[in-house]
Amino acid sequence: MKEDILLKFTNAELLIDDSAYEKIIQQENSVQVADSLIKDISSSNKDFFVLTESVVDNFLQQYLSNYQAPESKLKSDLETNYETQNETVKMPQSKLMDIPLDFHVLKDASKKSYTNGEIKDFTAYFNSRFQKLKAMLTKKPGLRESAPIKEAGNRDGVVNVVGMVNDIRNTKNNHKIMEIEDETGEMTVLIHNENHSLFEQAESIVKDEVIGVIGSKKGTLVIASELIHPSVPRIEEKTMDFSAVFISDIHIGSSTFQEEAFNNFVNWLNGDFGDETQQDIANDVRYLVVAGDVVDGIGIYPHQEEELTIKNIYEQYEEAARLLGQIDNVKMIIAPGNHDACRLAEPQPAIPENYAEDLYKLKNAEFVSNPSLVSLDGFKTLIYHGRSFDDLAMTINGLSHQTSDLIMKELIEKRHLAPIYGERTPLASEYEDHLVIEEIPDIFHTGHVHINAYKKHKGIHMINSGTFQSQTEFQKIYNIMPTCGEVPVLNRGALKVLKFT
Amino acid sequence: MGYFEVLEKETLKLYEIAKSARSKGHDIELEPEIPLAKDLAERVEGLVGPKGVAARIKELETDISREEVAFQIAREIVTDTDVEGRDDTLEVREQKSDQAIRTALAILTEGVVAAPLEGIAKLKIKRNFDSGYYLAVYFAGPIRSAGGTAAALAVLIGDYIRISLELDTYKPVDTEIERYVEEVELYESEVTNLQYSPKPEEVRKAVKNIPVEVTGEPTDKIEVSHRDLERVETNNIRGGALLAIAEGVIQKAPKVMKYAKKLKIDGWDWLGEFSKAPDPNADDSDAAPKVDDKYMRDIIGGRPVMAYPQAKGGFRLRYGRSRNAGLAAMGVHPSTMEIVEFLAVGTQMKIERPGKGNCVVPCDSIEGPIVKLKDGSVVKVESEQQAKKIKYQVEEIVFLGDMLVPFGEFLRNNHIMLPAGWCSEWWVQTIQKSESYQESDLDIKSLETEKIDAKTAFEISEKYDVPLHPDYTYCYHDVTTQDINELIQFINRELKTSDDPDLKAVSERIYDEGSGGLKLPISPEKRILEVLGIPHEIDGDELIISREDAYVLLNTLNRPVETEGSNTLEAVNSIAPVQIMAKAPTYLGARVGRPEKSKERKMKPAPHALFPIGTNGGNRRNIIDAAKKGTINVDIARCKCTECGVGSMQALCPVCGARTEPTSSGKKRINLANLLKKAYENVGVRKIDEIKGVVGMISEDKFPEPLEKGILRAKNDVFTFKDATIRHDSTNLPLTHFIPSEIGVTPQKLLELGYTNDIHGDKIEDPDQIVEIKIQDVVVSENCGDYLIRVSHFVDDLLEQLYGLERFYNVQTREDLVGQLVVGLAPHTSAGVLGRIVGFTKAACCYAHPYFHSAKRRNCDSDEDSIMLLLDALLNFSKVYLPSTRGGKMDAPLVLSSRIDPEEIDDESHNIDAMPYIPLELYEKTLDFEKPSDVLDLVDNVKRRLGTEDQYQGLIYSHTTSSIHSGPKVCLYKTLPTMKEKVDGQIKLAERIRAVDQKGVVEGVLTSHFLPDMAGNSRAFSRQKVRCTKCGRKYRRIPLSGNCSCGSNLILSISKGSVVKYLEISKNLSQRYPIDEYLVQRIELIETSINSLFESDKSKQSSLDVFL
Repeated sequence: MKEDILLKFTNAELLIDDSAYEKIIQQENSVQVADSLIKDISSSNKDFFVLTESVVDNFLQQYLSNYQAPESKLKSDLETNYETQNETVKMPQSKLMDIPLDFHVLKDASKKSYTNGEIKDFTAYFNSRFQKLKAMLTKKPGLRESAPIKEAGNRDGVVNVVGMVNDIRNTKNNHKIMEIEDETGEMTVLIHNENHSLFEQAESIVKDEVIGVIGSKKGTLVIASELIHPSVPRIEEKTMDFSAVFISDIHIGSSTFQEEAFNNFVNWLNGDFGDETQQDIANDVRYLVVAGDVVDGIGIYPHQEEELTIKNIYEQYEEAARLLGQIDNVKMIIAPGNHDACRLAEPQPAIPENYAEDLYKLKNAEFVSNPSLVSLDGFKTLIYHGRSFDDLAMTINGLSHQTSDLIMKELIEKRHLAPIYGERTPLASEYEDHLVIEEIPDIFHTGHVHINAYKKHKGIHMINSGTFQSQTEFQKIYNIMPTCGEVPVLNRGALKVLKFT
Repeated sequence: MGYFEVLEKETLKLYEIAKSARSKGHDIELEPEIPLAKDLAERVEGLVGPKGVAARIKELETDISREEVAFQIAREIVTDTDVEGRDDTLEVREQKSDQAIRTALAILTEGVVAAPLEGIAKLKIKRNFDSGYYLAVYFAGPIRSAGGTAAALAVLIGDYIRISLELDTYKPVDTEIERYVEEVELYESEVTNLQYSPKPEEVRKAVKNIPVEVTGEPTDKIEVSHRDLERVETNNIRGGALLAIAEGVIQKAPKVMKYAKKLKIDGWDWLGEFSKAPDPNADDSDAAPKVDDKYMRDIIGGRPVMAYPQAKGGFRLRYGRSRNAGLAAMGVHPSTMEIVEFLAVGTQMKIERPGKGNCVVPCDSIEGPIVKLKDGSVVKVESEQQAKKIKYQVEEIVFLGDMLVPFGEFLRNNHIMLPAGWCSEWWVQTIQKSESYQESDLDIKSLETEKIDAKTAFEISEKYDVPLHPDYTYCYHDVTTQDINELIQFINRELKTSDDPDLKAVSERIYDEGSGGLKLPISPEKRILEVLGIPHEIDGDELIISREDAYVLLNTLNRPVETEGSNTLEAVNSIAPVQIMAKAPTYLGARVGRPEKSKERKMKPAPHALFPIGTNGGNRRNIIDAAKKGTINVDIARCKCTECGVGSMQALCPVCGARTEPTSSGKKRINLANLLKKAYENVGVRKIDEIKGVVGMISEDKFPEPLEKGILRAKNDVFTFKDATIRHDSTNLPLTHFIPSEIGVTPQKLLELGYTNDIHGDKIEDPDQIVEIKIQDVVVSENCGDYLIRVSHFVDDLLEQLYGLERFYNVQTREDLVGQLVVGLAPHTSAGVLGRIVGFTKAACCYAHPYFHSAKRRNCDSDEDSIMLLLDALLNFSKVYLPSTRGGKMDAPLVLSSRIDPEEIDDESHNIDAMPYIPLELYEKTLDFEKPSDVLDLVDNVKRRLGTEDQYQGLIYSHTTSSIHSGPKVCLYKTLPTMKEKVDGQIKLAERIRAVDQKGVVEGVLTSHFLPDMAGNSRAFSRQKVRCTKCGRKYRRIPLSGNCSCGSNLILSISKGSVVKYLEISKNLSQRYPIDEYLVQRIELIETSINSLFESDKSKQSSLDVFL
């Protein structure tokens, strides 16, 4: 019975701490209490939660009083309580207050490139990915008893394995055939189209992700009954008492870089632009995160020189330093993108100092790799430029560059930033796969597609920060409308988008 | 007996030998497998059938055009029901439609290309959502080889069949239409560019209106987002269908409309909106065409730019055809080839106009280059010997010389004519036409060929009122009027010091003095003389202009010109006593393309026998090594004896010797050691070190060749192609006349071959007479000749040892091969053309009559194809070896055309000029930028002669060539071993040619070759496949185990080496030349990124540690 209760919370993707759990099972009709608690939480639209003893207490009070006296209004009290708490958190102008920054780089791949480009490096890389994700998967209920593929293949009955996807395709009869492997062998998995929910889930499976499969053996095939992604649990929402600004894809040096919009943006950050509310927000900003493509670069695509106003990579970064150098009192965290002066293969090390000397001279600038994980006053922020969006948009039906929030959700669930190998995203064969999402971030920030997007998924703020480049020739052909000069700001936990065009 | 009858008789003789050989039963079929076809009708029947169609085609051909025949045949095939008056079943109708479209398409493509076999996958009768039946045409990738027009016509034939079967039209739904739109875009971004990229609206319109469904097989592993449509079987790109729509129906809309109208097929009027689009080739204005630098968009490492577009000092346009030009082959002076070194006989050039490319052939009756030597002297190079002597002293190539372009090239490309260079054959005609000219008073013939002195030149011009002789006409249009005046002042200044102000008098004095010429001090004005193209020598600090040139110069530029309001040539004409023509009004740009080639065809790795041995033969696939294992396990055919029932894999039962029948194929244990031992005994060969087999058969039946053939091929050092024939590949070049001595054939031999007279009608007696080549005779390269000798030895051995017949060829020397029959076969086609060896060339090419190349559907802009010995093909070729995959029937001799009918070959060859000279009127028309099609009444060409005896003879040329293989035989690109040396050579040449900007070339090589290569490879490196070293299995991603499933090691498919291969040379170039900073930085960035991928940060640290 105890397991049943735990499983209920797990399935609802709620974390519960020991004391809260103890409290629940002490109840006479613990199963019902748990059910109704879960129902209450999911209907209350509060996506934060590690269930603590105090929450359970609160709930029990209400539950029991409801049980005894249905007219009680404790429930609404609970809500107002939260609201007032939020109110009291609001402090004026955190930037102006002299609170020291609490900034750390948690993960960074710069100067950790150990590959020599040999075949053994490729093996090491994919094994690192597999082991990291397998470790996550085997902690999940249902996969704790998973067996190596070779062993599972020789056994009859229930199959319970973790594998990396080699291939997934539709059969003539419109089932799905998935080939997976681990270090011991390969296995072919059939996903039957009559199992509608499973089949639908399988629509978003891509090559080279790591996945758990539960099913039964039938001849050489395994008929899947359950597919398990590493996924993330719902995280607890922290109180945010400051603001952070997210930008990317500035493309300095391009003839389509909107300098005026960018200057407005810089002026706003410095308190010299926008209406009162906007200035209030600006005064609250402690961090500016740049998720790649600071400059337009050179030689990125054929005939790029015809679309450049600055045809010199050093001068592009000098100009970037001039523009960003005007920003005061805000910590800047800068990661590279596919237009920056870095290797294309991911992880990309931080923008090299010899190309961006003036930028490096800025005291408030910090350079990190793509991807990287930083802590902004305790808010874990995952920065990734977003090259892999090209592959996922091509591969998964229903995903497109316009809906990068949905792509980010897929990546979070797969716990990998660029699962597909061999298509558009070049991956460096590092010993360690830096693209695995090992720690669950509070904020996931991307760019690359030039179109804003925002979604809160299981408590994680997923932000795509658009661009400062107006529609390019390339985008014209494909009818892509960029959101230029529209900047997302995480303002004390709420997303606001400010326009600077 | 006529020429064709002789060929036919010989051919039949070889068929008889092959028949009796095959009747011995060693091969799968008891007869030769290449049907003989005399004409198009028979080729069509041989290629696609159905039986008896040849007779029907011939019957129809007498009354209606070939196009109408094609459609009529299609209709007859589908409407002729199995049971009179009763409709066929759906399946039968589908089968007949399938046959009909193939036959009709084969008729339209002259029964040569493989498209009717391979370009169409199938036809299907499907249902609309309103339940009506419609026809779907499934295209496959190889439809590309048919060309846009044929693809479009295939769609039209499909519609005609649909109408004949009284089916409904195809009614696409929106998702299907959008699927096409998406596929077109995806194809262009992911696969390759289409010749014509239709806009989405155009695609929608086409799909909505084409009355049949144009669909097809998946051609590329790229998925679309419009997936799982009910009526579209694949989610991948349908390349064939896209080609048929975009490059076919849409691009060739006017043609399709024309046919639809002619054949009264309704429902195609909507195409009218496509055909309104202006033809990009049509230059509407009559002004000089704009600079066209398309040929320069890609500059490839090691392939030099010869001239920038329209750049002064580039190739001068000269009209005419030499006996080795036409079909895109154009003449260049052998001394030009010698000096630039990167041009040899048969080297391809990408050119500015009139077409996209050509092949270089030597012609020494046109102007050679003008070069400046290291000592400063300027020399007109007039012979190959002279070029060889001075080529290492050349400092600058001031002028590249002429490019001889046949009129037919302008016609073929529908390019407006460009002003002709002023030349002696034009000049002579102006005299003939002048009023004061009478036949008697001048020896016109000698005027055209002999040198005349300067004084006489002026006298003639004055007497007949004609422009000055071309030898004495300089490139005035290449300098400014200021330059002219500076030059005049300079000469005046220098000569006045000698107290003689009258230049004319000076000129007379210098001329009369004889030897000395005009001496001038070396000064900046020398450059003007160089640009004008006036040769001069250097003596100490003086330059000396010869007395002839001095006379001309001083007489022409006798006083300063007006610098305002007119161009230089007009200004010069205002002072010159006689008319001065534009020496080089049209310069043509060019760059080197593909090098010439003449080499035996070898698959990689090259087998001696199509015999599968799996991985038992090691890396070299050596059957002997495999046989050491005794018994091996391979995937091979299973045969059963018709008499005793014993199983084997041979055509003859190893037990009782009776014929067997193939039953199936599969994994089988064979005793290779035994088989090989027997085979050795059968052919009486004792031991050979290496006989190479194949890993596995790619054919359906997996029927192996008899091992005896492999032994004998290995013995004679020849290799087989996938269809069991032995091929030799060469660049194609045209030839209408030859000199017996140059191709190594004696007059005696020629008489035996049926040649009787030379071009003047004289009997052939002398090896130096000029003889018109017969249309199926070929001049192969010496290298090809030597290989064919070995092939003939193989065939003789085979006849004697395996088949127990008499040896046939008995060839000792190359000369013995003269008169032997060969088969010419081009890639993407399936019909061989019968040829006969008449001689040999030192050049790396195959010279043959333009009809011969055209019959194979080739032209001569660096297309290469193969030659086989006829008896080898007849004995060894078998369809059973052909791969079962799509495209497997391409490049295989499925039928042999024994006779070339000029009317039935590609009409490109109808544009071949047949004129002894370019008429004066035509020269004049070129100055007005006339369209070639508007001046056809002035021109004699093949088209005019079609259908008459004159189509076979009298195709005379306008420019003589003393040798068809003068000039280099191998271009420098091929002799330089490394890319670095090739690029160095390319850049050094750029420095020397006046018409080329060296910096531009360096930047061009970097931008269009090295940088994209490095960027592409380093990107590809990080998403590459891996491959097994042993079994060859490929993995999209390396398996987690790190090994192949067979247990062997895996290797990267893109090595570090291929990523960095151009890095050093690029860096080097960027340091040595003042190239654009943008490029320098791109190179730096690529280096940074490459280092980041291949150098571990650890090793960087540890190397630092050493110092710390």
